[in-house]
Amino acid sequence: MSLKQFISDQSRRMAARSPWIYRINAGSCNGCDVECATTALIPRYDVERLGCQYCGSPRHADIVLVTGPLTARVKDSVLRVFDEVPDPKVTVAVGVCPISGGIFRDGYAVLAPLSKYIPVDVNVPGCAPRPQAIIEGIAQAIEIWRQRL
Amino acid sequence: MNFIKTLIQNLVSGPSTVSYPFGPAWTPDNFRGRIDFKLASCTACRACEQVCAPGAIRFDKTPEGLRFMMWHNTCVFCGLCEHYCPTDAIRQTTDWHMAHPVKDEFGMAIRETIVYVNCTGCNAKTLSSAPNPVGVEPPFTPEEIEQQRNLCPACRKKALAERGAVS
Repeated sequence: MSLKQFISDQSRRMAARSPWIYRINAGSCNGCDVECATTALIPRYDVERLGCQYCGSPRHADIVLVTGPLTARVKDSVLRVFDEVPDPKVTVAVGVCPISGGIFRDGYAVLAPLSKYIPVDVNVPGCAPRPQAIIEGIAQAIEIWRQRL
Repeated sequence: MNFIKTLIQNLVSGPSTVSYPFGPAWTPDNFRGRIDFKLASCTACRACEQVCAPGAIRFDKTPEGLRFMMWHNTCVFCGLCEHYCPTDAIRQTTDWHMAHPVKDEFGMAIRETIVYVNCTGCNAKTLSSAPNPVGVEPPFTPEEIEQQRNLCPACRKKALAERGAVS
């Protein structure tokens, strides 16, 4: 086995244990963002037990959490940031807004559902979902992420 | 020296992190979660469709009857449908385990049909919905509900008048 192959295998094995999370706000009301922040920052819900960490740059991310109904105004920015996330990536739609539009469904400024523009892998319905539900969704995303590596 | 007291307290009580993905999670008793629908109690009044803010509930007329559809992925858990339901046909459970892979997306719905029957009084085609209990004194007995279910609206009124109910 060549050194390159060895490093590649080892990094893949290690990466499967610690996916990094990036959060995109696609015009959310901030409710789901608060719950996402709660999931990560408050020791009570501590998502880092699953090996996840929130990161500040889309280029470092493995799992993308998208909140909000994808308003017309942020659509281009969201798609640009999403394209910067390296493959393979797993997308989690947090809250009912990115899944179906929720309360903003069929609004003139809302382009929901998100899956028309971005391949979504896991849905976490709720308005807003409770932190445990987000952890449940992230746990499912990690399973998908391990298969994709 | 207060910190020693806190330190000992923390050592005794353990970490405050909830054990959720690895253990059960605590749920409040009045948590507003997944909608549950009980077809046998539905009066087909369509109040829930009227008040549903995101439009998650829809009634469609089909050849078999009136179809009730509810999409969990559109519901915002406001609880208005439960509040306005005259019977306990639609209610909110405390279930919040709703995260699902996208391939299950279209299974996240309730599809139930209130079927058409022929009225036992006049043989007209009618919906076999439960009778509306609002203002009925004394309340319907289970036998009366089953009897009313197979009557058309006109025959139901007649039966109520014969019963001497105030409506």
